[in-house]
Amino acid sequence: MRMRNLSFLILPGLVLTSLIAPAFAASDADIAKAEQAMAAKDYNTAITVLEAALQSDPDNIRLGSDYRQAIMRKSIAAHPKEGSPLDFDRCITFFEKVVAAHPNAATAYLNYGFCSVDKIPAAGSITQVLLANAALTQFSKSIELKPSWIALYTRGNSYLYWPVIFGKAGLGVADLERAYAMQKTEPTRAYHQRLYISLGDGYWKQDNIEKARAMWKEGLSRFPESKQIKARLDRKDDDLKSYIDDQLDPNKRVDTDLHEIWEAK
Amino acid sequence: MTFSFSGTGTGARFALAAGSVLIAAPLAVWGWAEATATIKFTEMAAKAGIQTEHHTRRFPGKYADVLRMFTSGGSSGAAGDYDGDGFDDLFVTDSDNGKPNHLFHNNGDMTFTEVTDKAGVGGGNDPKSIVADALWLDYDNDGKEDLLVARFGTPILYHNEGGGKFKDVSATSGFNRFGNTIAAVAFDYDNDGRVDVMLGNYFKSQNLIELPDVHVLPNDLDNAVNGGGATLWHNDGKGHFTDVTDKAGFGKLTGWTLDLGHGDFNNDGFQDIYLACDYGTDRIFFNNGNGTFTDVTEKAIGFDTRKGMNAEVMDYDNDGWLDIYVTNITDEYMKECNMLWHNNHDGTFTDISKETNTCATLWGWGAKFGDFDNDGWPDLFVTNGLRSAGKENYIPVLLNNLLLKPGMDFTDVSNWPEIGGMTWSGYQKKKMFHNLGGQTFKEISAEAGVDNEADGRGLALSDFNHDGKLDIFQVNADQKAIFYKGVTEGGGNWAQFKLTGTKSNRDAIGARITVKAAGLTQMREVDGGNGYAGQSSKTVHIGIGKATKFDSIEIKWPSGLVQKINGAAIGKINKITEGKGLQTK
Repeated sequence: MRMRNLSFLILPGLVLTSLIAPAFAASDADIAKAEQAMAAKDYNTAITVLEAALQSDPDNIRLGSDYRQAIMRKSIAAHPKEGSPLDFDRCITFFEKVVAAHPNAATAYLNYGFCSVDKIPAAGSITQVLLANAALTQFSKSIELKPSWIALYTRGNSYLYWPVIFGKAGLGVADLERAYAMQKTEPTRAYHQRLYISLGDGYWKQDNIEKARAMWKEGLSRFPESKQIKARLDRKDDDLKSYIDDQLDPNKRVDTDLHEIWEAK
Repeated sequence: MTFSFSGTGTGARFALAAGSVLIAAPLAVWGWAEATATIKFTEMAAKAGIQTEHHTRRFPGKYADVLRMFTSGGSSGAAGDYDGDGFDDLFVTDSDNGKPNHLFHNNGDMTFTEVTDKAGVGGGNDPKSIVADALWLDYDNDGKEDLLVARFGTPILYHNEGGGKFKDVSATSGFNRFGNTIAAVAFDYDNDGRVDVMLGNYFKSQNLIELPDVHVLPNDLDNAVNGGGATLWHNDGKGHFTDVTDKAGFGKLTGWTLDLGHGDFNNDGFQDIYLACDYGTDRIFFNNGNGTFTDVTEKAIGFDTRKGMNAEVMDYDNDGWLDIYVTNITDEYMKECNMLWHNNHDGTFTDISKETNTCATLWGWGAKFGDFDNDGWPDLFVTNGLRSAGKENYIPVLLNNLLLKPGMDFTDVSNWPEIGGMTWSGYQKKKMFHNLGGQTFKEISAEAGVDNEADGRGLALSDFNHDGKLDIFQVNADQKAIFYKGVTEGGGNWAQFKLTGTKSNRDAIGARITVKAAGLTQMREVDGGNGYAGQSSKTVHIGIGKATKFDSIEIKWPSGLVQKINGAAIGKINKITEGKGLQTK
């Protein structure tokens, strides 16, 4: 199970300001230093800098995301394709300590869960299941602390990666419907299209094809250029199943980089 | 629970892009382009008299259910001509306590007669041992096929006494080391003219029936290191085998070996070996030519975490280099993908199963290549299915009661939930793939009539009635065997080659025949039991499409002798003796 590509999170405004508080300013110097190191492919330095920064600013979503990216790039540079599981273990172990020290850091829990998601492509098939379950545990803790749109979307979407046989689609739909209700109260944001896609997928996994298509159609009415929504509406039966199965393939690495969030600020 | 990961991760070796592999494959689609035949089989096990039913071992005690499930792989079938009448006979294993194995004599007309009692080869399933695999081999080069029965226990070696009778020579054979053996192959690793034996062991060396320690199951389901590894036995030439495992370089193996596939992967004249391992890393060893092997896994294929079930060897794309096909588990809940290791000609392999459409065969078991339409391109048949039972599915039970429970020790039998009447990856349709010119495969199982839903295990391919069409014997776990007669109409021409070694081992295992006809070159090696739980005929079957003559035939014997053959007949079995002429049936 893995998160979808989160590049959609290009936020036109300050929509996530409540989510990503405290503000970035306190860590700007660290971020700059880490960025320099990353640009020089000095991943060890970037990781060290970001680990130190996160210990004092654990709920900073940018620090957390950059840290995970540094881990991933280091791993893939050394081990092409999917990286080494051991590298991702560092991320998991680190955030385990961070949330132990900062038990109310909702965003730290979110990044903690993403560490497991990032490791999935490098792991064996059984370990993938264990990692997916570990990620859900951390996402749940994040929601418990702060039921934000992104946390609900993340957990809800994660449930959809589980095979139907495990009966988790209903849990995913429940989370996604909560996120849907949240976004209905906001002005339309670019990233909202992902919710339409995932919630439609959730209905599809529950064999409610009509409801799925209605959700995708609603999404398309708001995002007429969405290729992913169109791709779903253009397909039927086995063709649609094949397409969605491919989208939810646990062996495909998905970018969990959240950089668009702050870049859009 | 802890997870140990080693090496460079799944699929570390992908230096050669799949696309370039496919470009490197023969561009000519000779034979295939001309082929118009539809591959077809008809099932006739009952009519043939070989619809024998397998029984997995029933264990005593509170862990009976789990142990039975973990040892359900012992259904195997071996094709071999024990009486020298030219027709391959069949030896079929059973696994439950007291249940006999079966020897079926081939009457030559697609019927068989059971001769187990007369031959004296029914034994092996006793209160302390479980039969798991079987292998025909002429270990003493006397021209009569002997029989090795591999067990969770010590192997049984039967010497063929002639006259349809066998003698149990296990006590003096040297096979005295206990192992939970699930796979056996015979090949002459040192080219001394005698076939040696390699055994693949699943569990570590502990008697599962007495179960002195309950911690016998995999310590990690993706990277287990507490399995039985493999042992290598050198044939001393006096009816005795010596354990050379450590000396040869296999002593440190701890994988859950499920199958062994041998072949000269690097074209240096020595037999190499691939080990398909459940719960983690497959291994590949290159033969150093001095009685030792080198583990080249990291460089050749990288470290995988999949559930290796089968190791079949074939030059599927006719480029003159042996490739390897490994089945794994690709089901709704586990997306591993099989591996078709394309030989890159430089000591490395690239997995192109996705690119060739041979990736997904559900819970895979035995798989065999065979040219079913005689177009010159080896097709592929894959068995699958673990346990077909009631409507309730075991997977969620396993997930919630073991996998996701914190701190569970997977090695402890008592921690595994009972399966009872539940199904686990059952009722799976078999997969047959038509080779499209060595570049990709097309799944044709339904139209070929082989999409049965049995819990398949092993396969034995042979042209049992000498009609030029390969037949398939499929054994299943706790179910009756299936026998498919090849009935393809309009297929290509063919020829078969029965090789007999003189300086080389008499079975000619490892001998390499290269034929050229109508612009296509095909290379095949005689193998000694590649592929899970099944031994195919040692007679080499080669389809040649519309060709009506051979441009050349060359045999490279394990002894090093290279022999040119002239006058081989089309549509016949060509008998060739090392260093001598051709005798056509």
